[in-house]
Amino acid sequence: MKSNKSVGRTIGRAVIFIVLLILAISFLYPLFYMLINSLKTLKGYYRSPFALPDEKLQWSNFATMISQFKILELFKNSFIISFLSVVGLILFGALASFAFAKVDFRGKDGIYLAILATLFIPTQVTIIPMYVTFAKMHLVDSFIGVVLAYWAAFLPETIMLMTSNFKGVNDALLEAAAIDGCGYLKQLRNVMLPMGWPAISLSIIFFFINTWNDLFTPMVLLKSMDKRTVMVALSSLIGRYTGDPPFQYAGLLLSAIPALLVYVLFQRSIINGMSMGSVK
Amino acid sequence: MPSKTQGAASLRRGTFQQRQKRSALLSILPVAVILLAIKAYPIAATVYRSFTNWDGLYKSDFIGFANYADFFSSGLFAKLLKNDLVLLLSVPLQIVIGLIVAVLLYEHVPGWRAFRAIYYIPQIISLVILGYLFKSMFSLDGPVNQILRAIGLGKYAVEWMAHGSTALPVMVGCITWYSIGWQVIVILGGMASIDASVFEAARLDGAGFWSRTFKIVLPMLVSTLTYCVVMSVVWTFTGLFSLIYSMTGGGPGYETMTLDYMIYEKSFVSGTQFGMACAISVVLLLIVMLITAAEMKLSNMAEKAWG
Repeated sequence: MKSNKSVGRTIGRAVIFIVLLILAISFLYPLFYMLINSLKTLKGYYRSPFALPDEKLQWSNFATMISQFKILELFKNSFIISFLSVVGLILFGALASFAFAKVDFRGKDGIYLAILATLFIPTQVTIIPMYVTFAKMHLVDSFIGVVLAYWAAFLPETIMLMTSNFKGVNDALLEAAAIDGCGYLKQLRNVMLPMGWPAISLSIIFFFINTWNDLFTPMVLLKSMDKRTVMVALSSLIGRYTGDPPFQYAGLLLSAIPALLVYVLFQRSIINGMSMGSVK
Repeated sequence: MPSKTQGAASLRRGTFQQRQKRSALLSILPVAVILLAIKAYPIAATVYRSFTNWDGLYKSDFIGFANYADFFSSGLFAKLLKNDLVLLLSVPLQIVIGLIVAVLLYEHVPGWRAFRAIYYIPQIISLVILGYLFKSMFSLDGPVNQILRAIGLGKYAVEWMAHGSTALPVMVGCITWYSIGWQVIVILGGMASIDASVFEAARLDGAGFWSRTFKIVLPMLVSTLTYCVVMSVVWTFTGLFSLIYSMTGGGPGYETMTLDYMIYEKSFVSGTQFGMACAISVVLLLIVMLITAAEMKLSNMAEKAWG
């Protein structure tokens, strides 16, 4: 009787494992598909897009992307924008979140709510006046303009995430720091930053990936060819090579690698952080 | 003597707290300035300009509700909203599949952490990249059509992105595939807050997999699932620009165009009808606010109903 039940349980778990495995394959297959086809000749691709490459691997698709289309230069542009965006988000976000989480002052709840209220306002709704104002201030076609737009777009989310995390930091630690003569900024640096590291590291990773992957803001705000981010350049490049899927796949795959690399390195803190459930 | 030191201490504490308050106000100042200048002001400007024929340069005459009247009466609004509603079909799919997968992962079979990490991979890849990838997979000579021809369904092998009626379902599939990992992670996060002893007690009472799922997991996940619905619906209305741009560009015609994409179209592609684009922005903003408010109300009701 009992062993029957445990056999049933084992079979049940085996079925669950197989279902999850099939699902995992369906999530990995498109990546695998891009990889195998990016290494084929055009003829090889049309012979069968599903087969493994049967000729010499065509690394030339990747070489062309790097030498002719200077994709590494584009990486540099994207990296500068993502880096500056994240630095501002963490700096301004941590300053404000410390105040919201740990200091009582008049109007605090109202200001906090006002900031959260802007959480759901999409960039599309603010882009036109932003664009016109930025144009007057020579911030169109400048990295600074894109970075400012990202600060405005993502600060509410950053503050929500950090404030809820900072609230959990033990007050006794702050009091001890204050008794030791730590001022406001030193308390932030010596107590809040180390204790609130889960939220901070999640914000760094999450918004780096988010800004790296974004198309809308840089496409509207950046004009000259040499300033474009990788996603903006990719979107015009891929459209011109619809007849050559292997070449397209090489470009798509290369552009996905930096964000994927960040994910592989920091997978654990992303998943743990996302389970706290506050960003999308 | 003692009273004097006490007095000094409390005086020091008073000034300390005042200093903290002053520092706190200073430290929210950058955020306040950024959000006022780059969020609050643009929204106010968008609302104001939606009543004008603004072209970004010379014209900006007050024309009342003409943009709105034009937008609604030309049938454009209905068309765009219909596309948004079709794409919203992905939300129930994502959440149901995400919930099932989360419940299966919760059984903690070997390798479940790796599976969880794999399901989240699409979220890491730009929708620009995924859009082009799916577009090429559904092209006339692409792999999907090759499979269809091989199994004798060649008559269904069409250029999927060339018609709204085939492109929108492909988009729904793509959005669902992209979003399942997010739903899984968030739902698992919600399940982690359910006390494990509740499960143990139910198991000892002989509750099987299904009754555990429906009698324990679902009722305790009401607020998590509400959160998933709100975020996904709002995201469908506002977060699909990259995907639509790479898959169809909103075309053919306006067959796959959404409200948020039309703002871009009207102001940066086909001329500079900034006034009209602002009116569409206001409509989109109202829709998003309405959804958020409605779902918060529903979630309160649901919390009460489920106890």
